[in-house]
Amino acid sequence: MVNFLLRRLLFMVPTVLGITFMVFMLLALAPGGIGAGLAVQGGQMSDTSKVAQMQAYLEDRYGLNDPVVVQYLRWLGRISPVKFGERDLRNASGDRVSAPREIKQPEMAWLFTPPDAPTVVFTPVSGEGQQEQQIEEFKKLQRDAEGARRAYIGSARLFKDTLADYVREAGAPWTDRLEPKGGAEPENFRDLKLDPANAKFGALHQAADDMHKKWSLAEEARQRAYIAFKAQPYPLSGYGVIPGAVYLDSPDLGVAFSKNRPVWDLISAALPVTLLINLIAFPISYLVAVPTGILAATRRGGWFDVLSGVMYLSLYSIPTVLAGVFAIGFLANKQYLGLFPVSGLHDSAASTYTFLPYWDDAGTWREGWLLDLLWHVALPVLCLVYASFAVLSKQTRAAMLENFNADYVRTAKAKGVPRNDVVMRHVFRNSLLPLITMFVGIFPAMLAGSVVIERIFTIPGMGSLIIEAIDLRDREIILANTFMIACVNLFALLLADILYAVADPRVSYE
Amino acid sequence: MNNRFGLKDFFQIVLLLAVLLTVWLSMVQKTRVELDVKTAIGKLDELEKQAAQLQRKMEQGFAERPTVVVQQGGGGGSAGAAGMANDAWARPGVKIERWAPPHSATDPTTQEGYSIGGEFVEIFEAQPAKLVPYISSDVYGTRVIDRVCESLGSFDPKTLKLEGQLAEAWQVDPDGLWIRARINPKARFSDGTPVTAEDVRWTYMDYIMNPLIEAERSRSTMDNLKEVKVIDDQTVEFVFKDALFTNVLTAFGNPILPKHFFAKFEPGQINQATGLIMGSGPFRIANLPQGPDNLDVQWTPGQDVVLERNESYWAEKPALDKLRFKSIKDDLGRLVAFRNGEGSMILPTSPQFNKVLRDEPEFVKTNYALKWVNMRCGYSFIAWQTGLRSGKTATPFSDRRVRRAMTMLLDRDKMIRDIWDGIGIVAKGPMNPESPASDPSVKPLPFDPEQAKALLAEAGWKDRDGDGILENDKGDKFKFEYTYASSGEIAERLARFVKDSYEKAGIMVSTRPVDWSRYQELLKLRDFDAITMGWGANAPESDPRQIWHSESTREGGDNFVQWKNSEADRLIEKGRRTMDEAERMQVWRELEAVIADEQPYTFVRVSPWLRFVKRDFGNVQTYRTGLEPQEFFKISAVPTPAGN
Repeated sequence: MVNFLLRRLLFMVPTVLGITFMVFMLLALAPGGIGAGLAVQGGQMSDTSKVAQMQAYLEDRYGLNDPVVVQYLRWLGRISPVKFGERDLRNASGDRVSAPREIKQPEMAWLFTPPDAPTVVFTPVSGEGQQEQQIEEFKKLQRDAEGARRAYIGSARLFKDTLADYVREAGAPWTDRLEPKGGAEPENFRDLKLDPANAKFGALHQAADDMHKKWSLAEEARQRAYIAFKAQPYPLSGYGVIPGAVYLDSPDLGVAFSKNRPVWDLISAALPVTLLINLIAFPISYLVAVPTGILAATRRGGWFDVLSGVMYLSLYSIPTVLAGVFAIGFLANKQYLGLFPVSGLHDSAASTYTFLPYWDDAGTWREGWLLDLLWHVALPVLCLVYASFAVLSKQTRAAMLENFNADYVRTAKAKGVPRNDVVMRHVFRNSLLPLITMFVGIFPAMLAGSVVIERIFTIPGMGSLIIEAIDLRDREIILANTFMIACVNLFALLLADILYAVADPRVSYE
Repeated sequence: MNNRFGLKDFFQIVLLLAVLLTVWLSMVQKTRVELDVKTAIGKLDELEKQAAQLQRKMEQGFAERPTVVVQQGGGGGSAGAAGMANDAWARPGVKIERWAPPHSATDPTTQEGYSIGGEFVEIFEAQPAKLVPYISSDVYGTRVIDRVCESLGSFDPKTLKLEGQLAEAWQVDPDGLWIRARINPKARFSDGTPVTAEDVRWTYMDYIMNPLIEAERSRSTMDNLKEVKVIDDQTVEFVFKDALFTNVLTAFGNPILPKHFFAKFEPGQINQATGLIMGSGPFRIANLPQGPDNLDVQWTPGQDVVLERNESYWAEKPALDKLRFKSIKDDLGRLVAFRNGEGSMILPTSPQFNKVLRDEPEFVKTNYALKWVNMRCGYSFIAWQTGLRSGKTATPFSDRRVRRAMTMLLDRDKMIRDIWDGIGIVAKGPMNPESPASDPSVKPLPFDPEQAKALLAEAGWKDRDGDGILENDKGDKFKFEYTYASSGEIAERLARFVKDSYEKAGIMVSTRPVDWSRYQELLKLRDFDAITMGWGANAPESDPRQIWHSESTREGGDNFVQWKNSEADRLIEKGRRTMDEAERMQVWRELEAVIADEQPYTFVRVSPWLRFVKRDFGNVQTYRTGLEPQEFFKISAVPTPAGN
């Protein structure tokens, strides 16, 4: 058994890597980019959007313009607990502080000679009792480095635009090498000979000079910040294994650029909501469907079997969207029944409630926080469970019927075992296997949330989170989510295998 | 068999777990209630402090009353006033404009049923992602932040003139290179600290311009700002690199933040905060962390946003106690919640608006159904590729006559009637019809298929072989591709309408629905013949360079139709450099006429604002700036409906 478990656990690692790599590639190859989310404000394009500039900034900030494989490896490095390279620092508020990022060499080195890389000699504040000044100095240098970097990124973008203009002016065949987006990738023009007679030559020269100058400044500022970083203004983060090369640190899921918040914060806000609703919904669907399935099987062909079958199947065929609209339009609308609230998870005054219901001094009934919550989730839960009855109960019924005809059941009946014991001890126990297979499917489903129901009832759960992320191409959220669900799914499958062995003595992994 | 783990044991364990969970949750709830009590006590303390302050002030009499008499009416400047003792802050020789402190556009206090208190609940269509000034990027966040923070200036709701808010006076350089503003000495942030020139400088130079703060969206619009200088405690000067009319908006249109509060936080903490807003406005947010230590009390998405009246607001205090912002994504859910009394205001969809008014005559007795055009209304359009598509193929739309014919072939009145249920007005040009930049005498092109046919024939497009489709002299058939965002029913119906209209006139149309994120790419590549979209608006005028100037045909610019017109270029350059408002508006009107004549877009529809508001609230006025909820009050005569 232990052997089996170990083998399965080891196999999980390549599986997870494969899944995340596939998702990463899919996202990288999908048409459209992050620009859409930046350009729209409230459904309409905003007038003064400087989308291109914003995009250049974000691409640099989150490394979206590197080759896809590099980006994937970087992502892996972040979520891996074993990390390589420079150790991060932790500032007073517990946030990770990384070394200032490398700046790309200025492009078009073969056209205009770029400046030599500057070497900065700089002694940062250090020593006992100087902590305060050291931190202040580091913060200032960090800020200068970011500012200089931003200026360089802007000038590099301008250079590419000017190059495109220059090439257009030069005419065919150069224009064929322009990117489909109309921009110029300097790499494509390695064999371009500059022609001072070109009307855009002056502008190009100026843009290149400006870019080189900004690069020198940015590189200097970066080096200065790096030296200050090396002096360790904050304590080191994680545990070193091989100094300067390998260390252990907590996985980092990254920052969602569309919301500008750590992905972990977003997930930890959305997950409890989804879990809560699912934890109420799943037991209900099992507690209703499994017993009715058993009953239907024992009275096969009877009125209960037929009635429950018809009812469950007709429920199964109602689309969730329609059910949600009906629930809101009739059950929640005060013009009709008005029994339930329309949306949200709590009453607006819920934070002042006591937890359990009680009668106050005046004898009025106070519902309390718990009942208020249950009352709010009633409709979403209803929409979540009604369709699940059919599959579960039909599965139970089919598995039970198969076993009813088995020899050992006939034997048990013949030797006079009470009917209830035959049904529960013999038949039901042996019908558990297909149920277990379905049961483990619950775990990933619990994390995923339901997109449709969450939208209709405005529940801030995992479903809404992921669908928004897909709309805006926010890779960090999608990846973190896929990663999590993949892990849970793999563990659930392992759990299923173990449960098989527990439920069925014939299964063993020795 | 007997000591196996049975069903009964399972239920016992589940029950035990449930009991433990209940105990734990009730403890959590208890602490939450206690925290609430604590904040309530804190607020009481604060009120007491204020009362004591007031008392002290009363005892001191009016000795400290400022000697400056603020000119009422908020209008007009008084030239040549520099030189008087109290104008020592100003640059000599330049006109000073003075402003009254912020005041309501329509005085609520004299109206029937006026009372203090009450909660106003607005239901949003989506959650704001975060509430941090300049970092929040959605409209919902902006709407909340606008109630909490104030800028140096704001647009007058009735006249749309830019007037002082935090500023009591200002000078604008006639050459447009600097702006000097005098902050009202009475202005206070919601914690009672005075608003100073240093706060203004810090907001611009150390917050927005700080590259460690993720305010790139605002930062990129401030390329032209060189420096913000503190002249004295109350006076601040903005210096610009270039003389542009947008300088005024840059200086006066951005909320001023309290340095003493925001400087407590690390840039990283500000970037990742979800509810960090403090300002000098009429409301303040209910859960405001006091420092980096208790950031966990801040508002997070998923909760309602609650704003409370700023009890120490320095100008006219609002009547409402609280503003609450909920969000319900589902259209029907929003309407039902509004009807159930869970909200005081919603934004209905066009079909909802009409259906409710048509089916329920009773509805307007208890609710206002508001529909009006204001400066924040954008317009939708069909853009014609006037240049080369993807830099390669020419389209028929490079000819002005063809573009005009395309517009005349489209019955926009009928479109609005059929597709938007009659809600909206036909757009005539890029300027908002409420704005002084729009010339009322410019009318949209008429729906006139006959004249369109004549124009097309003039441009060489005729049915030459009798198959009912237009050809040019080379025998090419007139066909184009219509690109639209596959985002819903309205877009689909619009596409069908466009296809029908043009095919009737002998023009072949193929439709191409694409995902919105792909849309952006197509725009950037200029890869379309015709594309439909909408532009938003947020102020009476905006810089037309980005969309209409021939320089903006390059990548990064929004002139994706690649329309080049030297007259328009000239007017844009002239307008941008005209600091005088009236003169500039004249230039914009000329520009509007040029664009309307050239029709690089077929302007389709200006979408008015729609709102349902409960009649429990008084002084609900529709302004040219939108709505001003801080002027609403809860009508006291109407008894509040009992809780649940």
